[in-house]
Amino acid sequence: MIKDITIGQYFPGNSVIHRLDPRVKILLVFAYIVAVFLCKNFYSLGLMILLLTVIILLSGISLKLIYKSIKPIFIIVLITSLLQLIYNKNGDVLFEYWKIRITTGGVFTAIFTTVRIAALVAASSMLTYTTSPTMLTDAIERLFSPLKVFKINVHSIAMMMTIALRFIPTLIDEVDKIMAAQKSRGADLESGNIVDRGKALVPIFIPLFINSFRRAYELAFAMECRCYQGGEGRTRLKVMKVHARDFVAIFIMALVIAGIIVLNHFFAAVI
Amino acid sequence: MEDKNLVQFQNVSFRYESAEGEEQNPFAVKNISFDIKQGDCIAVLGHNGSGKSTLAKLSNSILIPTEGKVLVDGMDTADESKSYDIRKTVGVVFQNPDNQIVASVVEEDVAFGPENLGLPREEIRKRVDDSLKAVGMYDYRFSEPHKLSGGQKQRVAIAGIIAMLPKCIFFDEPTAMLDPQGRKEVMKTIFKLNRELGITVVYITHFMEEAALARKVIVMDNAEILLTGTPKEVFSNAELLRDRGLDIPKISSLSRELKREGIDIDGNILDTAEFVDRISQLLGDK
Amino acid sequence: MALLETQNLTYAYSRGTPFEVTAVDDVSISIEKGDFIGIIGHTGSGKSTLVQHLNGILKPTSGKILFNGEDIHSSKEFTRSIRFKVGLCFQYPEYQLFESTVFDDIAYGPKNMGLDKAQVEEHVLKACEFVGIKTELLKKSPFDLSGGEKRRVAIAGVMAMEPEILILDEPTAGLDPKGREKIEKMINEYRNVTNNTVIIVSHSMDDVAKNASKVLVMNKGRVEFFTGVGEVFSNIERLSEIGLDVPSITQVFLELKKRGYNVRTDIYSVKKAKEELLRLFGERGVI
Repeated sequence: MIKDITIGQYFPGNSVIHRLDPRVKILLVFAYIVAVFLCKNFYSLGLMILLLTVIILLSGISLKLIYKSIKPIFIIVLITSLLQLIYNKNGDVLFEYWKIRITTGGVFTAIFTTVRIAALVAASSMLTYTTSPTMLTDAIERLFSPLKVFKINVHSIAMMMTIALRFIPTLIDEVDKIMAAQKSRGADLESGNIVDRGKALVPIFIPLFINSFRRAYELAFAMECRCYQGGEGRTRLKVMKVHARDFVAIFIMALVIAGIIVLNHFFAAVI
Repeated sequence: MEDKNLVQFQNVSFRYESAEGEEQNPFAVKNISFDIKQGDCIAVLGHNGSGKSTLAKLSNSILIPTEGKVLVDGMDTADESKSYDIRKTVGVVFQNPDNQIVASVVEEDVAFGPENLGLPREEIRKRVDDSLKAVGMYDYRFSEPHKLSGGQKQRVAIAGIIAMLPKCIFFDEPTAMLDPQGRKEVMKTIFKLNRELGITVVYITHFMEEAALARKVIVMDNAEILLTGTPKEVFSNAELLRDRGLDIPKISSLSRELKREGIDIDGNILDTAEFVDRISQLLGDK
Repeated sequence: MALLETQNLTYAYSRGTPFEVTAVDDVSISIEKGDFIGIIGHTGSGKSTLVQHLNGILKPTSGKILFNGEDIHSSKEFTRSIRFKVGLCFQYPEYQLFESTVFDDIAYGPKNMGLDKAQVEEHVLKACEFVGIKTELLKKSPFDLSGGEKRRVAIAGVMAMEPEILILDEPTAGLDPKGREKIEKMINEYRNVTNNTVIIVSHSMDDVAKNASKVLVMNKGRVEFFTGVGEVFSNIERLSEIGLDVPSITQVFLELKKRGYNVRTDIYSVKKAKEELLRLFGERGVI
């Protein structure tokens, strides 16, 4: 069911990871992603996985949830690994049939890419799992506030993100409901060619759009009633302060990146 | 203080603008006048389309009257420079709780209003906590709104309004989308705000039983005020109400029927306990 | 043989996650032709989940649903054909309207059944008659109608499939008294004319007691009672225990009984209440 999507979900907690400054967290996740791309062999990638494991354990987020976050991209991972398997011709031949030749190089790169993508997705979901959406958008607003110089309304963008995140679960529920209702009237969403399937979506998307406009309209009234006038003069319930733990986290990340460069240098590259 | 007029509707008419070239929309409300006094607890009763929901939006300058005036604490809602102060004075809670919650965490949503007011952090914190306690949702302050029940969501929406410390709150059919449990929770909260915090409340409803609990009832029909008075006064006009397709509470109906049969009973009883007391008084000992 | 039957029907949401909830727990009921059943229970009692099994939208975690003795999940084709035999109209169905005209929206179900043009039109017109939608409205956009009209168009969309069983999930939710009365009348008429099975899901006993002949009370995913309306009222204390709304008139009699008077508690209409009270007064010589 669509309900199983975990994008943007937040699991409240009080761990060190939860308490990190969200701005620092965003930057660290960014650094993590860059670091994963820097990895050239299993040793450096292993270090990144180790770091991720420590973060997950510290956060108290269950492994099941991490698995759930990776699951939706499983197909992409599968396809890329298959391509790697088939097209990579390095190393010893393990298996040959007709034009397909599978080599150790292919197997290694397939595994390497899979682990890498999984690590990327898991790390980014750790960000949303441990940071409340409002804090996240607040942090983005602050991180990008220098863009105000270019007349970009950072506050409005952040507010839109807050509202989008708030309404994702509501709209997912709504899609589920509309789908069930149209299926009850005999809608066939599972068979037929692409054109048929596309047509079958009309009875789902039209009500969804109309209902969303109605929601947006009502929400705008409600926000006006609560004296919303844009970012000017707004204060915040939660202020962001960089603590000692944030510096520790940055220091560890720097150390890990240094470690990767060293490991890349001393061991043979897989990719 | 008691008799101070907080909100005044003076010969207010309003029609929604129609698209160009089309004929004018009929009046949503027509020539309405009434005063809301500080501390009042008023129910507005009427059908869908009777204009009652327009009243809520007229009360805090979301809509501006086509004719007539709405004054909030002496401020004219048509005066755009006052709209901020007016909305601070009169809050509105809408029907669908889902569509008035902005943030993904309960306490952050309640903070939205005070944040817009530019209050200092400590003050926001205090107001958020106080408001959530007042509606009995303090234990859920870290929850995600979409995981709450309808009644709980509506109470969060109410907390979001009271955190702005309004003098008056309009509730636009706050219970229409809720189950009986949620309806009870929300009505209890509304009366608590009125009695304990002294907030003036006006709630729009089409449930007779809910209207019967107010101190004053205004019945809207066809964009105009049909009746106004205490619940007993209003529901004594049973024929007129039925004629307009509105009913009277069943207990009231029953007491009228009994009176007609010659039983010595007030024909306008609205409260179950009062009714049972009277019946057992008449019946005497078991 | 029952028209529709559930055998040990169990359904759990979010299986295998920490959020797993058993929404329907071991429910075995049978529904006969011509039954008028009210399903009541508070939010989360499993009533909506249960009805979504009856037309095959949800597949049970364990247990079976039989239509005329045949498992509705025996084949994909059969499951789909069940949707037309067991018509399910969801809560707030007006939010699922999508076509550009009222006619086309009501015709969506019949078209999916594979009927030809003439048959579709016949089904649509018949359904419109049941719900009181005038033919001049058929060319209008459904989005230009009033709230009550939209609701009736949406219900017509399900009726137009001419199902043997019609299930309505909270058909009167959010409507004003006038709108509620219209819908109730319309459902009664539909039943009288077609003699089809009708199931109404509701929060409150009030809605159900007036019309239904049988009541299914759900509590925490299980069946609390499934009996005639009268019998449920004789267990009215239990209803308020599980958090269900007791009609205000019934409350009067429960209270009188508590005070030691010998009164019936299966009363929910003003008329019956008057009779019972007058009987009591007469017995004691008050009048």
